[in-house]
Amino acid sequence: MVELVLCGRGGQGIVFLTRQIGQIIASKGLSVISSETHGMAVRGGSINSHLRVGEFFSPLIRSGHADFLISLDATETANNKHYLKPAGLIVENSTLQDETGTKRIAAASLARELGRVQLENVVLLGYAACVEGFPVTAEEIRAHLNKEPRESVRSLNLKALQAGIDAA
Amino acid sequence: MTHQNDPDVRFLMGNEAIARGIVEAGCSVTAAYPGTPSSEVLESLVRWKKELKHPIYVEWSVNEKVAFEVAYGASLGGARAAAAMKMVGLNVASDPFLSAAYLGIRGGLVVVVADDPGPHSSQTEQDSRFFAWFAKVPVLDPGTPTEALEMTLKAFELSEKYQVPVLLRPCLRVCHARQNVSLNTPRPPASVGPFKKDWTRWAAIPKYRLTLHRELNEKLVKIEHEEPETRPILLNEGAGNTTALITSGSVSSHVRDIIASDTRLQGIDVYKVDLPFPAHRAALQQIVDEHERTLVLEETYPVLELQIKDRRKVIGRLSGDVPSQGELVPELVEEIILSTAGERPVQREAPAIKPRRPSLCPGCPHRPAFYMMRQVFDQAVYAGDIGCYTLGINMGAVDTCLCMGASIGMAGGLARAPLTEGKTRVVATIGDSTFYHAGVPALVNAVHTRARFVLIIMDNNITAMTGGQPTPAQDFLADGSPGKAVDMERLVRGCGVDFLELADPYDAKAMKETLERAKSHAFDDDQGVAVVIARRPCVRAPKIELPSDRFEVGDACDLCMSCIKDLECPAFRYVKSEKRMEIDADMCAGCGFCVQVCPSQAIKAKGA
Repeated sequence: MVELVLCGRGGQGIVFLTRQIGQIIASKGLSVISSETHGMAVRGGSINSHLRVGEFFSPLIRSGHADFLISLDATETANNKHYLKPAGLIVENSTLQDETGTKRIAAASLARELGRVQLENVVLLGYAACVEGFPVTAEEIRAHLNKEPRESVRSLNLKALQAGIDAA
Repeated sequence: MTHQNDPDVRFLMGNEAIARGIVEAGCSVTAAYPGTPSSEVLESLVRWKKELKHPIYVEWSVNEKVAFEVAYGASLGGARAAAAMKMVGLNVASDPFLSAAYLGIRGGLVVVVADDPGPHSSQTEQDSRFFAWFAKVPVLDPGTPTEALEMTLKAFELSEKYQVPVLLRPCLRVCHARQNVSLNTPRPPASVGPFKKDWTRWAAIPKYRLTLHRELNEKLVKIEHEEPETRPILLNEGAGNTTALITSGSVSSHVRDIIASDTRLQGIDVYKVDLPFPAHRAALQQIVDEHERTLVLEETYPVLELQIKDRRKVIGRLSGDVPSQGELVPELVEEIILSTAGERPVQREAPAIKPRRPSLCPGCPHRPAFYMMRQVFDQAVYAGDIGCYTLGINMGAVDTCLCMGASIGMAGGLARAPLTEGKTRVVATIGDSTFYHAGVPALVNAVHTRARFVLIIMDNNITAMTGGQPTPAQDFLADGSPGKAVDMERLVRGCGVDFLELADPYDAKAMKETLERAKSHAFDDDQGVAVVIARRPCVRAPKIELPSDRFEVGDACDLCMSCIKDLECPAFRYVKSEKRMEIDADMCAGCGFCVQVCPSQAIKAKGA
């Protein structure tokens, strides 16, 4: 059983990340359930997704139960920290240094180097996948992103993923 | 529940699972109007149609009433049919919905109505199961995407068996949950044969309606007593405990996880009802009678609770133990169950949450339109409407928001309030899709009654808030097949409007001049409602090329903050430590409107 919360601002691609992780897990034959934010909030508002691997019925994680908090926006980390278990890990898109319980990667600047800041979500995913206990591996994500039929989208996503892996 | 590399297992959203169920059931006509959290039902019907090369007909109707009527007509024509909408959409469709329950149906008819406890993206927390009760229509209440697919199939069966429309009520936590869902082979489109004339039923006058009402009541009694889904099902092996819990729908999923994860709660008999109206009342009462206490947890009204006749031992909303508003989130559900079981609550610190407020996108054409409205009409009363442009509240350009289309109707009333007659200037705003949906009759009314206000149609050529569905102005339908475009200007003129002008909101000067002329027409010359169409495609629309221009704030900036306060553009950021304004190049969409309106003309092209 692994439970993770993903958070950020509307438009950063939180829903995309949640779906990729969930699809990979579902295709391995495991039970997975997630919840997404849609509607008004996606216009730049606070966004979070929950994803639970295991025999769950509810798509929502209770406060104090998440193993990971994957944050695309450092200011949103504070709004979602309460979901973490005491031993839970924050993986954050930030230019600051790591500290106890928080691993950080400057995903936005790495994505900008690839030409599109919008790739920051995939950079962060590559980095998170290298963390012990994360429910999908970098290899599984690579194989999954490789299925994207549009060549330009596929190659950009794969580059972004690699940038995240390399930073780990 | 593992499906080792099963190709027929997908990670599906609840709404996608419902759409899959609609196709698997052999449904052939579907209609919907977009609204969170229901919009993805029809969107994924389009995808299943393409993936399966299925002949199913899918349409985005002009509004929910029409969507229901299209589906109902198809049902009378012999096809299985479905309509999908959000809960406030059912308010719009309530007239045909209630009448259809009396008349009955032919081909199975399922109405998918998504509820939004919270509310997260809606005007109300109404419970569509209660609406089903009011309409005397059976309702199924799924708890997960997997259940949503199964119940969609069940809904069609029930509908045809009893000749009534059936409501499927998923809550947001089902609609927007994703889960590994097993797929089945769709059955071919079903038909019960062509329309059969029978005016005593399909065009019944009041005398026959009495007979039809009696028939409907008899159907409900039969469903209550003969269908297993109306009975509470025991979910755990408990039995013989002193405490019972009866639940339904999305909240049942939170309940199951919480009970399973806490050994202190194993001594509670947990029951779930799949069809909460008409519920098997005797079976509910028996549970209550056999336990010392029974907790009822359901979203969002006490529908099951009210069907229990003797509630002296019932803990729920009616006893005041479950809040009567707000979503039953897992933390709250856990707290209520623990307190019912006499256990100590979980110690939790209240999280210090400061949610970021939503805002119009950078480059959104509504922003310059609102900005210029404020410049021209200043302290007017701004009657707003439902859509992205409700976010005009951030700019002081939306003072009211009631329901779809209400801006125009309310503007007529606001302008007539006796104390302010002739003094209050009313300016209404409405989006293009909302105008087609419910604005047209209100505009006819305003023209006919010589109402004195200015209407600005914020035309971005798309239904933006719900994810970019087409409007009747497009010449294609939901699945891309050809449709006929209904021209907005001809429609407005057809309503009898004398003053109609178009303007591009990116063009500050043209927009200002147009609004000034509208102001003279409606207020100074008292010539009736003036309509301005502010037209520019949504920046999120497919195939939109955004300008690559980027801008920077120069030395002329005197930190008046107008770009943040009046223009409210999210790309502007005040760097406090350096006391200067900057433009975030990642966020900027290159519209260049700020260059035109900066009071100190401090914004210029980057590097210029």
